[in-house]
Amino acid sequence: MAERIEILVSGYGGQGVVRIGQVLGQAAVNQGLYTSMLISHGTETRGGYVRSQVVISDEFIDSPVVERPDFFCAFSGIAYTMFKGLCGPQSLILHNPEIVSADPELASPHWGITAETAAAEELGDAVFANVIFLGALSSRLPLLSPKHIVEAIRQRLPERFHEKNLQAFEMGRVLA
Amino acid sequence: MKRTFDTGNAAITEAAIRSGCTLFAGYPITPATEIAENMSRRLPQVGGYYLQAEDENAALHICNGGSIGGLKAMTATSGPGFILFADAFGWAVSSEVPVVIVNSQRVGPVSGITGAPGQGEFYLSRYLTHGGNFETIVLAPSSVQEAYRLTVRAFYLAERFRTPVIVLADQMVTDGWETLELPETDAEFLAMGLEVVPRRIHPGPEFYPATDDIDIPPVVLGHNTGAACSDWTPTDRGHDTEDITWQHKHAWRLIHKILNHRDLIDEADQWFLDDAPEVILVAYGTPSRVVQSAVRAARSEGLPVGGIRPISLWPFQDHLFKRRAIYLVVELNWDGQLVREVQRAAADGSQVHFWGRCGELPTSGELLEDIKALLKHEPLVRDGWRTEKW
Amino acid sequence: MSDLLEKYVRPEKNPGTACKGCGLRLAHRKVLEAIDELGLAQGDVVWGTGIGCSGRQTFVTWKGDTFAGTHGRVYAMATGLRLALPPEKRLILTVGDGDAFTIGFLHLLNAARRNVDMTVVVFDNLGYQSTGGQYGVTTPLGSKTDSSPYGAWEPNWTQRGFDVLRILKEAGATFLARHTVLQGHEPVDSLKQAIQNPGFSLVQLIYPCVTHYGVQALGTRDLATIYDWFRERTADDLTADENTHFTTGIVHDAVGSRVEFAAGLREFVATVQKGGGNG
Repeated sequence: MAERIEILVSGYGGQGVVRIGQVLGQAAVNQGLYTSMLISHGTETRGGYVRSQVVISDEFIDSPVVERPDFFCAFSGIAYTMFKGLCGPQSLILHNPEIVSADPELASPHWGITAETAAAEELGDAVFANVIFLGALSSRLPLLSPKHIVEAIRQRLPERFHEKNLQAFEMGRVLA
Repeated sequence: MKRTFDTGNAAITEAAIRSGCTLFAGYPITPATEIAENMSRRLPQVGGYYLQAEDENAALHICNGGSIGGLKAMTATSGPGFILFADAFGWAVSSEVPVVIVNSQRVGPVSGITGAPGQGEFYLSRYLTHGGNFETIVLAPSSVQEAYRLTVRAFYLAERFRTPVIVLADQMVTDGWETLELPETDAEFLAMGLEVVPRRIHPGPEFYPATDDIDIPPVVLGHNTGAACSDWTPTDRGHDTEDITWQHKHAWRLIHKILNHRDLIDEADQWFLDDAPEVILVAYGTPSRVVQSAVRAARSEGLPVGGIRPISLWPFQDHLFKRRAIYLVVELNWDGQLVREVQRAAADGSQVHFWGRCGELPTSGELLEDIKALLKHEPLVRDGWRTEKW
Repeated sequence: MSDLLEKYVRPEKNPGTACKGCGLRLAHRKVLEAIDELGLAQGDVVWGTGIGCSGRQTFVTWKGDTFAGTHGRVYAMATGLRLALPPEKRLILTVGDGDAFTIGFLHLLNAARRNVDMTVVVFDNLGYQSTGGQYGVTTPLGSKTDSSPYGAWEPNWTQRGFDVLRILKEAGATFLARHTVLQGHEPVDSLKQAIQNPGFSLVQLIYPCVTHYGVQALGTRDLATIYDWFRERTADDLTADENTHFTTGIVHDAVGSRVEFAAGLREFVATVQKGGGNG
């Protein structure tokens, strides 16, 4: 049976939702795996959310839909509220408790990471928070090796920010 | 092979370039803008021409003009631009001009919802112009990789059949990112089952023979062959005529050059049909991938379920639906379009049901529930305004 | 004249579809004369046509390569075709006033903007005559037609200070002229300049429609009366009163002032291929 990982990344525009998906997908391709990423924008209210549905598998992916996420990176309250219903006990939800408060009713394990604060304090800009999340996520991800994610960061993120992004990635990884 | 992670937009661009496309004229529209942007970057690199037309009507006319000059041409759009092709599309059909048209379907009618996937142009792609008396070739990719393959196929068929070929994609295929393998050598290209037909030039004087033959070189102007092509009903020499006999010959050719060579066009995926399943799911484009997941999941539970995905949409493949079964047709629209053709083509005694939605794909979980209901001969329950009418 | 027809026109398309006494044959002949005086052969010209009386009269009459577009879109088609043709090949479009100035005006303006090397010859019969005689944007104000039984009321583009050719000038056309077909050799001279211009040229050639405009607006079937009306209304002067006259002459001559579209694009592509760009 094929191994299939479903990752949902969602937040508002400018938080690097699509970038994280691109890095994950590129890493999967680098590693010889199959991957798909659907990008959608909230249609209910403009600017409501951006969503990347990433699927990684060791064989061709039929449905590209994230129905039962293994991982959910919730970058905003709107995104969290919108998609928490997809999450079950198998779903690990990564969030910044300073921005997104966890729903105590939810059966999913939550992992609170104060990524924006850490990024602002240690890297000088909260914009690197998404890569801190990526680092944290990578420490729990089956199938994908961190080596290939680092390579993908170099391929997909702007060169002038490589150093800081790789630092952010490491900051996330050591949180595990 | 070059293994990349890229969008359907990029796949379509690379396929066009590989097929010898040297002219793209378009008008920016979500979600097909990226095809235009990619072509604007790639075409000059290979000596080709990128133009932004004053509207989509002009875009396809510019492509038609390039094509009758001997260039391979493509345009890409979404629903609101697709409807403006009516004029130029009819001209290309009637004058038998090879050209490739990509439509990334979004939610309509009219401007609808720009960045969300829909499937509202199933019928419009068949009848993209007025007047009848023609057949249309329409191909529907469901993945980034297939967007590459079918765009190459579209150029190939356009040249052999001397006709516009439509690649009917959806927002998820064009904007979606996936593993994309691009051939780097001719051998790799051929190994993918792909071929390029170079542009040939009709020497005249019988530019429009009253036969169903394919592989007749297209009419190309500028070589002093006495080439003539027009919006009028042509005689075999391309002269305008109001003689109804010539009209009949012309229409017969436009219809039967396609219908009599369907072996070159027809393509479909069929899943788990060998043991005469009770329920068969049907979809094209991105929703078909969820269908495939749902069918697999049903099979893993031992349920008698199969699936059909038409890859070439038009001419419609009636033969796929000759099994008596309970069909469930899954589409990204609320009015049901593909389902109407399935209902027409389905074997006697079949039931045909409809599952529709816009903007979001179904989940395989939802489809599995409906499969179970159909197997128990229960009605498909929907809330309020979603009541199934089929 | 018959030798001109023999030289350039397909015998099966002669004498064409125009009505008896129509000025369209005269207009068609002016274009052939210009081609002949320039020493162009059948293989030197690609000829396109639009819809209406002019399209019907001239489509597939040219012995060489020829095409007819959908109504008003032939300028967009010619833009694509120009990229495929060698620069020395002349691209001549014979179209009507409706095709060029109303249904196709958007495409005409954009062809002028790009300075696409084509010669648009507008056979202007002062309205929509092939559909039985309705007013258009060159119909003199007050004219009675089948769709203006009380006199043409809608503002047009040829009177009260307007001139459709000036719009084209602002849009970037590099040669523009207006004549009537009754002006002898003058229209031929302008057509020759237009055809030789490696850029966007347009010549408006006004001609009498005897079947519809003559009967409906001028109230007569008599050819001599209709032709006299045309002669009297023609002014050899662009500054004459456009409300009472067809003002004629070369409206704009900027030949060589702008880069031609296909040549410019080819050069641009070559620059990109060498690793450069534009800006």
